[in-house]
Amino acid sequence: MNTVNRARPLGPFLLTVVAMLVAVPAFAQIDLSGEWSVRNNEDPGQPPLGDYLGIPFNAAGRLRAETTAESIWGTPEYQCRPHSAPHVWRGVGGARIIKEIDPLTRGISAYHVQHWRSLDRIIYMDGRPHPPAWAPHTWTGFSTGKWVGNTLVVTTTHLKDGYLKRSGPQTSDMYTMTEYISRYGNYMTTFMIVDDPIYLDEPFIQSTTHELTPSLHVPIEPCTASFDENGGNDPHFVPHYLPNKNPYLTEWLETQKWIPAEAARGGLNTIYPGYQPNVTTRSTVAASKSAFSPNERITAQSPKDGQVHIMPVQRNVYLLIADGNNVAVSVGPEGVLMVDSGPAHMTEKLLAAINQLAKDVAGSQRPNQCLGVSCPSMPFGWSSVYMNGIIGSPAPTRPIRYIINTAVDLEHTGGNEKFAAVGFHPRGGGEDAMRIAHQNTFFRMSGASGDKPLLAPGAWANETYHRNTYKLSEYFNGEPVVVYHVPKAHTDGDSIVYFRHSEVIAAGDVFSTVRYPVIDLEKGGSLQGTIDALATILDLAVPESRSQGGTWIIPGHGRVSDTADVASYRNMLVMIRDRVQDLIKGGMTLQQVKAARPTLDFDGRYGSTTGPWTTDMFLEAVYRSLTAK
Amino acid sequence: MRSAITGIVAAMTTWVLFAAPSDLHAQRGRGGGQAAAGRGARTAAPYDLTGYWVAVVSEDWKYRMVTPPKGEYGGVPINPEGRKVADGWDPAKDEADSLQCKAYGAAGIMRLPGRLRFTWDNDNTLRIDADAGTQTRLLQFGTSPADGELTWQGRSAAQWDTAGGRGTRFAEGDLSGPGGFMKVVTTKMRPGYLRKNGVPYSSNTTMTEYFESHQGPNGERYLVVSTVIEDPQYLSQPYVTSANFKKLPDASGWNPTPCSAK
Repeated sequence: MNTVNRARPLGPFLLTVVAMLVAVPAFAQIDLSGEWSVRNNEDPGQPPLGDYLGIPFNAAGRLRAETTAESIWGTPEYQCRPHSAPHVWRGVGGARIIKEIDPLTRGISAYHVQHWRSLDRIIYMDGRPHPPAWAPHTWTGFSTGKWVGNTLVVTTTHLKDGYLKRSGPQTSDMYTMTEYISRYGNYMTTFMIVDDPIYLDEPFIQSTTHELTPSLHVPIEPCTASFDENGGNDPHFVPHYLPNKNPYLTEWLETQKWIPAEAARGGLNTIYPGYQPNVTTRSTVAASKSAFSPNERITAQSPKDGQVHIMPVQRNVYLLIADGNNVAVSVGPEGVLMVDSGPAHMTEKLLAAINQLAKDVAGSQRPNQCLGVSCPSMPFGWSSVYMNGIIGSPAPTRPIRYIINTAVDLEHTGGNEKFAAVGFHPRGGGEDAMRIAHQNTFFRMSGASGDKPLLAPGAWANETYHRNTYKLSEYFNGEPVVVYHVPKAHTDGDSIVYFRHSEVIAAGDVFSTVRYPVIDLEKGGSLQGTIDALATILDLAVPESRSQGGTWIIPGHGRVSDTADVASYRNMLVMIRDRVQDLIKGGMTLQQVKAARPTLDFDGRYGSTTGPWTTDMFLEAVYRSLTAK
Repeated sequence: MRSAITGIVAAMTTWVLFAAPSDLHAQRGRGGGQAAAGRGARTAAPYDLTGYWVAVVSEDWKYRMVTPPKGEYGGVPINPEGRKVADGWDPAKDEADSLQCKAYGAAGIMRLPGRLRFTWDNDNTLRIDADAGTQTRLLQFGTSPADGELTWQGRSAAQWDTAGGRGTRFAEGDLSGPGGFMKVVTTKMRPGYLRKNGVPYSSNTTMTEYFESHQGPNGERYLVVSTVIEDPQYLSQPYVTSANFKKLPDASGWNPTPCSAK
């Protein structure tokens, strides 16, 4: 009997052991973590410039690739960029996959993927949603994963524009990448679908096989940016080729003459068997459709839905999107500073949002964190902080103190009068919030330039500047705020606003992620001024690391951006400027320029055939700006 | 009694530690192995591979879509002996010797641009017809394929691997979706070409393939065939590739053509 009794506890023990050990191998069987060497024997080496074999380019994608110079890597904003997400699996150095374990559940809450020329890429496994469309894009994007059987399916959005391969094929910043990661013993295959309908007629697919290599070390590539690599003394030089004038695209074919030249330019018809030379009887395979509409995805960055969307940007600064119009606000203990006041019809909702934000940020009661007589933040006696923290109530929030208008347009100034009236500025004899704008903007607001006033007197700026910069006379919410005039850009009175400790720049309408810049020639705007304004932003901004993050830039319309995004937009404008200039030099009229479609590769991203600012209107502004005497 | 129980504990622990994982793995996971063969590999399939698939030649285009000239062996870990053979490639001679199908053997056919048709010959034999070269591969589940003469397509032993090792209780998405892959080991192949330009593989070659189907974000269906080719005679290390196919709605474009050495 004793023996039996002593044996009894072994039953549960045995079951536990069996259960644990049965479960563990199944888990380990698909463990993706470890160091993985690239074992792929396909497309060996770095593809030569102009090699677009197997890429289902559309005409826009082909033009974008053919006019992009490899030396774009030398520009300061790109020198430290990691490989683009589609290429990085094929980059040298292999991959390291780390699993992040949730300490509570012991489940995998995230995977981290690292390559030689990459950032730490996180694949969230905890079920969180993807960010809203107005959130920033990064080189690695935002990835979530889920298991389908034993395959890890990863969906990545919020990617910056980059490249499919090192040979020049570019992506837009609207693409989505879906990866299927499977492990077969010591091999791992990643099947990738790059869905970029702006540049591709159907998604580009590629699969890459790695082998588990425990001894592999995956170092990080060091990078120190220096614009000396960028053609010498001009940090804003944008290397590119005019259409059909890139001399390097076919060099590689000189030594690989068996490749049909037209196939080297890619295209849907080249990737299916029907393309085989001398075989014409096969039918064409129907293109796979994109899973999303680019237009919907672009406009989602700037939702015109009659609502206010709030996004924290950095430190004091928040983005409020009011029916598609961006308003940047600094919220803190000294009150609220608004950069632009949104359209008039959104004033009430904007005010409600700002009040709520101010209450949440600066006026909310917080748990007491400081106990005891030695509490360092207790200058007036030991009981005051502790007791006030419990029985006190928060001080009322401070009002709107400043409104800075980046331009005169009603979408930026529509709320001036109302917000000024509910605001307060103690100095200067007035009780309204201070309204700041460049002198030229004030002239247009008030009609001082001789034109009809655009705004009622209560909405006019009551503090103007006419030099290159204007500084608030004292810190606001603990930081300097500097206003820069960017002349002859969107208009002749544009301002950008730099929050120097928050590291945020509100750019106004010289920058947009949803449309070509509105160049208002009638109000003194110009293409070159817009390009120069973007250069000013790039001069002020500093990336945090690897050519991304750091100084955040809030455009007049669209998503929160960084230096690389502004550079991409600037590069686009420089390319269009040079193309149109070349056509003008060739004697083309405006209609001929439009017919030549010099913006073909950017129209899918920034163009429009309807609405207040169409591609035609933009091209006309460019043409007139470049031909103005 | 005490020692008996101790013995049982030790035996079970030993069994669990050393034997159980693989056995369980075979039963639950490799459903197309011995266990699943009893109920038929067709029934055990985690998803339906039957139908028509077309090669999407987005990789290695210059070696697959067109025939590269002699000497273009980029990416293939060819050894000196293999190079010597490849350098002697003579397509006219292959035609004359009725060896025009050398590039259409199992180790080459999956990378040729063409269409595949998957059907079940019986409950344990998956058949792949290729219109390029009008070739047929038979993938045998359960029992080892009978030995015999070397053939272009060799002998292929197949098994499903549908192990459900998700292993976490954290929210990781849909675990109920169809998953798993088909592993195929092919031997007994008649010497042929990895590429149409005469890069050789020998009769000693072992080819391991992993077939897996994925549903794309827009509902389209893809098939990825990851392949490891080991040939001690002509390769210095395994030749690793993956070929991608897209599911077709019907037989449109199916165009059986004879082998061509050119």
